[in-house]
Amino acid sequence: MTVKVYSTPTCPYCSMAKKYLDSKNIQYQDVDVSKDRSAASEMVNKSGQRGVPVLDIDGNIVIGFDKDRIDSLFF
Amino acid sequence: MYDVVIIGKGPAGTSSSLYTIRANLKTLVIGKDDSAIRKAGKIDNYFGFSNTISGEFLLQEGEKQASRLGVEILDDEVISVEKDDFFKVMTARETYVSKAVLLATGQPQVKAKLENLAEFEGKGVSYCTTCDGFFYNNLKVGVLGFKDYAIHEAVELETYTKDITIYTNGRELLLSDKFKDQAGRFKVNSKPLLKLDGGDFLQRIFFNDGTSEDIEGLFVAYDSASSLDFARKLGIVADGNSIVVDKYQQTNLDGLFAAGDCTGSFKQISTAVGQGAMAGRKIIEYVRSL
Repeated sequence: MTVKVYSTPTCPYCSMAKKYLDSKNIQYQDVDVSKDRSAASEMVNKSGQRGVPVLDIDGNIVIGFDKDRIDSLFF
Repeated sequence: MYDVVIIGKGPAGTSSSLYTIRANLKTLVIGKDDSAIRKAGKIDNYFGFSNTISGEFLLQEGEKQASRLGVEILDDEVISVEKDDFFKVMTARETYVSKAVLLATGQPQVKAKLENLAEFEGKGVSYCTTCDGFFYNNLKVGVLGFKDYAIHEAVELETYTKDITIYTNGRELLLSDKFKDQAGRFKVNSKPLLKLDGGDFLQRIFFNDGTSEDIEGLFVAYDSASSLDFARKLGIVADGNSIVVDKYQQTNLDGLFAAGDCTGSFKQISTAVGQGAMAGRKIIEYVRSL
């Protein structure tokens, strides 16, 4: 499964989401949208909104640290 | 440099200061005369008083008590809190550096009434310039507010865009000198607001008089900065309108604590005082560990 996490450095939910993925040994690509403009647009297009974190799990878009949804996509 | 800056001089903040000052921590309390208990004319359920007391009386006694013990108390408004190696707490006049900060700011402010404000959250409406400013690079944005905090937010936005309008929603700008100078850089629109409109994202803002303007982003900085505004910028976890703390009143950021109504617990003087004391004890431990 390919996982991409769109995040910013100051967002606490982004840290929580990434820590959660780490705890489950899930590999992911971490993209800082505050620095990468095209990634920011990409995130907005995929999720229809401008909040972080956004997780793209094999094309499934998860907005926010939605643990239940993340679990349902993996386990 | 202070050992601790306490934001808010109500029961939680003042109670905490009694502990930190008696542990010889250099303590500064900054707060406005805006405590929720000012409205409590008759208090009968706060331990220790055989007669009915007023909130005003309790606040005054608390302030006198803290001052007597050496706490510095400043009647002012905090505009922002930042963390680097230490905390920087900014009012309109000065910046105070501190090893620890306690948020004891009370219940969050009443939100601005604007139709569709909630609907466009994340789609044009934001409550945090430093968090979301970059999404609005070179776009036309507004700041909803009329006090120092609104101007502060507008200045933060200048990094990202030059097209900034302050929407005061019918209010007069209420600014301190430092921010009056800075306010001159921005367009100000005082017309009372009606609603926001757009498709998937925010596109227009409508006024009561029927006119409207194009707009791509609106940053809400209404009235004064609340604990939630500080929370967003610092990246601490909040649950709805409340700051999340552990049983020691610690947030998820080292050195940053919260106590009282802003933590969303049972909103009473008794609990605020207790939480302030818990926070005080942990702050002492934290500062000594540095």
